[in-house]
Amino acid sequence: MNIQTIQNPTQVEMTLTRHCPLVTCGQDVKRGERIATSNAPDKGDIHAPFPGKVAHVDPYRIRIDVKEGETIEPLSFNRIHGNELQNHLRELGADLPTCEPVDTLIINAVDAEQGIVTRRDLLANCHDTLEIGAKALVEAYNPASTTIAMLKDSSKKLDGLSVTIISEQYPAGLDPLVIKAVTDSEVPENTIVIGLETVFHVGRIMETGLPIMETMVTVEDKGRIVPLGTPVGEIINETGEIIHDRDRIILGGPMRGTAAASPGQGVDRTTCAIAVVSNPAPVAKDTACVGCGECVRHCPARLDPAMITSYSEFGMYDKAAAEHVDICFECGLCGFFCIARRPMLQYIRLAKSELAQAAALSGEEN
Amino acid sequence: MLNILVAMLPAAVMAYTTFGMSAVRVMVLSMATAVLTELACDYFMDRKSDIHDFNAFIVGLGFAFLLPASAPWWLVVTGSASSIVLGKMMFGPLGGSPFCAPLVGWAICRISWPAFMDIDASMLGTDLTYPLAQLKNFGLDAIQITDTKMLFLGKQLGGLGAVQIAGVLLGGMFLVMRKHISSIIPVGVLAGVCIMAGLFNMMDPTTYATPGFHLLTGSTMFGAFFLATDGPSSPNRQIPMLLFGLLAGALIVIIRTYGIYPDGVPFAILLANLFTPALERMRPKPFGVR
Repeated sequence: MNIQTIQNPTQVEMTLTRHCPLVTCGQDVKRGERIATSNAPDKGDIHAPFPGKVAHVDPYRIRIDVKEGETIEPLSFNRIHGNELQNHLRELGADLPTCEPVDTLIINAVDAEQGIVTRRDLLANCHDTLEIGAKALVEAYNPASTTIAMLKDSSKKLDGLSVTIISEQYPAGLDPLVIKAVTDSEVPENTIVIGLETVFHVGRIMETGLPIMETMVTVEDKGRIVPLGTPVGEIINETGEIIHDRDRIILGGPMRGTAAASPGQGVDRTTCAIAVVSNPAPVAKDTACVGCGECVRHCPARLDPAMITSYSEFGMYDKAAAEHVDICFECGLCGFFCIARRPMLQYIRLAKSELAQAAALSGEEN
Repeated sequence: MLNILVAMLPAAVMAYTTFGMSAVRVMVLSMATAVLTELACDYFMDRKSDIHDFNAFIVGLGFAFLLPASAPWWLVVTGSASSIVLGKMMFGPLGGSPFCAPLVGWAICRISWPAFMDIDASMLGTDLTYPLAQLKNFGLDAIQITDTKMLFLGKQLGGLGAVQIAGVLLGGMFLVMRKHISSIIPVGVLAGVCIMAGLFNMMDPTTYATPGFHLLTGSTMFGAFFLATDGPSSPNRQIPMLLFGLLAGALIVIIRTYGIYPDGVPFAILLANLFTPALERMRPKPFGVR
């Protein structure tokens, strides 16, 4: 098992995505104390990974100054299963989708993007935890069948799960395409897919009885277990790389990753990789679509990214919704092939988040 | 964009060897007009200039390729300027135009000044002949150039660059290899020409020319690789692209057979451009939509 190589940080930052903060500035928190609750049914709550004092709270982040302190009492999971177990796991920070009843549970063990090895290293090094996590998930969802999707040359598999081999070619490892590969249907009913890192998180919860406090991220071609909330800048510094002005810290892979807002941004549960991109020329430019159609021909979701991004560019989000922007699974191929180098994926994400916000404001269920 | 300009270079060089300095004069004048017109439009429309993307050069050179080498200077200037203004700048930045820009200028000139655009009448001074006009006016037997190799090497009259079949083909292949254009539309156009011409030829081989003749004369090759593949004015998905190509190819032969214009390529592609929005409606259901 990879031992965490990161020194304990002096300040951690927890990123909030539609969470309600429960703490106020100056408040002392124990290790594992819940500091924010989730508003989305499929997202887990957020807990303090270190004991300390809350230094900053705003709708997007909570910062904690790390101090000596105690840890909360571990919970016991004896004799609970089904929905109760699911809710317990969510309260302890697991991002579990909601679905009932579940016919097919798919565990996605494929690192979709080039250069990310998180799931491969989890499978190789944290096998026992994954076994516990998978067992807990089967108990929580009680699916008719459970499948693990993995690459041809994966080293180990999990006991009792049927295996589906996924192509190594991008974007075959993304969740919707994995569902299609396993079930042979694009939108099968009662099917959920859970990433291997979430299985690991559940395994840690079951092992320790404590909330999730660490995750695995790929740093320099190797998976490392780091505490949640660790500032990404510190992880980069640890590798010996020096961050210059105008460099960007990318969370995630080269196709789908997002730039960190600052070196102080903390690792969250969905972070799968951290890398620095130092490229003086901008990757994307503010240009108009030239109408070449490359994105349309390469879109694995058979959408029209040219129209969607043009609508998004001019704020016509309802038209983007009519073009089925919600179906996009954000593979980033449109931006990769764009000869005008438009920020395609960013426009799509903008449209999606604006639509989600509008739906939330009008009181509809998302 | 620079790739397209490079791809047009072989045909431009061949045009020089065939028609001499008069061809160079038309090409240079047309490109200069296109660039200056775009700059002027940018100035009056208060827009940041995109002249460095070479698109104005491509439109100018593409328009010149369709002209006879004897075209008077005012014709070149008017056509090239209207290509840019009406074919490109009217519709916003690059990528908005519903028509292939050089063809807009060509159509305006062809309808406004037919005598000067008539390739046969304006090129009386050369030894070369215009096979398409001979076919149109005097029938299949009157065609003087029967050697395929001569046609292939551009020893025929027509648009000064468009008839340099070997050079155009070389440039087209370069664009396909570099994946700058998809091969679907060129294949569609050439197949459309072959199918339509083959049908006519089967009906009556003594009246209608062979598919090979239609492929190697006029602007068929240039249209297939450089004009029909223009991004914004052609469909984006594979099946609509193929249908668009087949439609353009079939229209080329139909206009050459029944129309009053010897070379049907520009009008065929403009008509096919009109069908683009309709063809675009042919689309698969998005992922997971029933």
